[in-house]
Amino acid sequence: MADVAYMRSPHTGEIRQVEVTPEALSPLMSQGWTQVPAPAEQKPATPVEEEH
Amino acid sequence: MANVQELIQGWGYKKQADIVTPNVVAGIWRHTNLNTKPWAKVPVNEDDRAEIGKGHEFPTQLFKSHYNMPTFEISKYASSEFLAWLMSFSLGNVVLTGTGPYTYTIVPALGATNPTGLELPYFSYVQQIRPGGSAILDEILVGCALKGWKLSIKNSPGRASAMCSAECVATGQYTTPSGITLPAATVPHEFNAGMITALTFNGVNYLTGGSGKQFVSMDASWENNFRPGFFPGSGIQDGYQIQGRFEWGDRTFAVQFVVRVQAGSTEYTNLINQTTGSATLTLTRDASNSFSMVIQKMGFNVVELSNTDGIVTMQITGVQLYDATNGLVTVTVVTPQNNICQ
Repeated sequence: MADVAYMRSPHTGEIRQVEVTPEALSPLMSQGWTQVPAPAEQKPATPVEEEH
Repeated sequence: MANVQELIQGWGYKKQADIVTPNVVAGIWRHTNLNTKPWAKVPVNEDDRAEIGKGHEFPTQLFKSHYNMPTFEISKYASSEFLAWLMSFSLGNVVLTGTGPYTYTIVPALGATNPTGLELPYFSYVQQIRPGGSAILDEILVGCALKGWKLSIKNSPGRASAMCSAECVATGQYTTPSGITLPAATVPHEFNAGMITALTFNGVNYLTGGSGKQFVSMDASWENNFRPGFFPGSGIQDGYQIQGRFEWGDRTFAVQFVVRVQAGSTEYTNLINQTTGSATLTLTRDASNSFSMVIQKMGFNVVELSNTDGIVTMQITGVQLYDATNGLVTVTVVTPQNNICQ
């Protein structure tokens, strides 16, 4: 299975899973898309409260 | 007194958190350098010779002005590690994937969308001669950036057939002693021209087929044309003003190559007809070490008939056009080194 990268649009914030090939990445990166961590690695936007 | 051979150098393969925060040792690697000079620091003084009221035209007093840091060249035989570092820090938009070996896909960042605007990642540079209690030189330069690079491929044996160099700039901020214990020198996975596995310029494959013996050499370079980084609040070091940012100016990407002339050579026709096409240079050492540069759209600016060592050649100056879909250039490097520019 090919490597994938998660890319974020600089304009809309959309996150897209992209196959790691120059053909797939070049059009996005040349438009300013940048890599973000895989969804599982991303921290939640707000802290999760611990249950007591 | 010290022999320059004692000079050891290391620099951040990880990026600094910001321009004033140095790399920690875990993010620094040590490499050899073909440049035989250390990186000089040049504090500049000014005087009062232009001021009226002293009764004469001669200076009477010195004032601290600024650190005028010269550019510094890191010159290396091309390797997967160094090329990944060179391209990442000079172009700016980097995608890192894999679990070892690691794949770096790199394109030039755009000012409109780059998270740090017109600024590229910064790194620290360490140079030492006999570090310790009686060090002759031990300092870490903070806030270095890559002004540009050169990559050359030529018909010659050995490592010199594939070489690259980085032109570095620094703000003037430094710490001495560095407090850094450099690791053992990295053993890079180097390339040579015999490892080229793709070599196509504007529709002509110079590796196989009818044009397989035409290629002589190629020189590519990138220039970020940094703007001066002195501004209110840019910082001081030893009472001298230092630069507080390196913003790219009008960047330039130059490619020249030389090929032998043969019957039916199409380079001159491509120039006249303004034919454009992609250009690909790939070096493959093994499955864990490769470098590929794809210039998305190349035309020819100059095709000049010449002579190289008695063989009739053409020297071609490319024009690298920005393709509306794929951009200017995409570099892909596979290397065992993780976390470059992260």
